[in-house]
Amino acid sequence: MGDGEALEALMSRYASRIYRLAYGITRSAPDAEEVVQDVFLQIVNKGAGFEGRAALGSWIYRITTNVSLNKRRGKRRELETPLDELLPTFLPDGHRAGDRAFVVADWSSTPDRELLAGESRRLLEAAIDRLPAHYRAVLVLRDVEELSNEEVAEIVGDTVAAVKTRLHRARMALREQLTRDLRTGA
Amino acid sequence: MTCRDAIDILADYVDGAMPAELAAELERHLAGCEPCRAYLATYRKTGMLGAIAGRVDMPAEMQTRLRRFLSEQLRRA
Ligand SMILES: [Zn+2]
Repeated sequence: MGDGEALEALMSRYASRIYRLAYGITRSAPDAEEVVQDVFLQIVNKGAGFEGRAALGSWIYRITTNVSLNKRRGKRRELETPLDELLPTFLPDGHRAGDRAFVVADWSSTPDRELLAGESRRLLEAAIDRLPAHYRAVLVLRDVEELSNEEVAEIVGDTVAAVKTRLHRARMALREQLTRDLRTGA
Repeated sequence: MTCRDAIDILADYVDGAMPAELAAELERHLAGCEPCRAYLATYRKTGMLGAIAGRVDMPAEMQTRLRRFLSEQLRRA
């Protein structure tokens, strides 16, 4: 197999996955494009002997995550909301601390097509934008790429417990923003 | 089980990674706590929406640019 063919095989296998993850972390198409080029350059520079190696998938995820997070560094930081403001708070006895801290409106029966279109969609995308990038990384690897907690821990270089905490906090923060936005009449 | 305990363990519950006994205890709390039921329902829905929103495709013109970029790189190598 020539270089061109090998590359074509790698592209069809990995390009869309790399782009999806890079976009999920950077939330910018031009940044994601640069990440994809960078990652493929690293693949090319590693040379032959890649094909069929079982660890290639997780190596690619790891490189893509790192390059994407580096690209984010110092950029668009002002968009990110401190997560703590979006997490539920409780009284010392474990009961909910008031109405404001724990918005309980149940919008879950709203049809997906309605939530994924128009103003609701815009609010969803904006809520994802406001998550800190390293939370988005875990969210995408788990909920979009559907990897296990163990695989994600390996990719982001953290413990399984830390990955689980980050995923839960990311989902809660997103839920809180959506609930506030949808309740105030999207 | 308090509401705080319930909310703390929702990720494992939603991901189906919870011992049956703990899941049963959580379900007992949920049966008697409407706000936590609403929280769980919207938490689950949020995960689904995030997953759908995250399934973006690489634009076709970007694939073309990438292919061109890489063949140039290979020629130079
Ligand atoms: Zn409760």
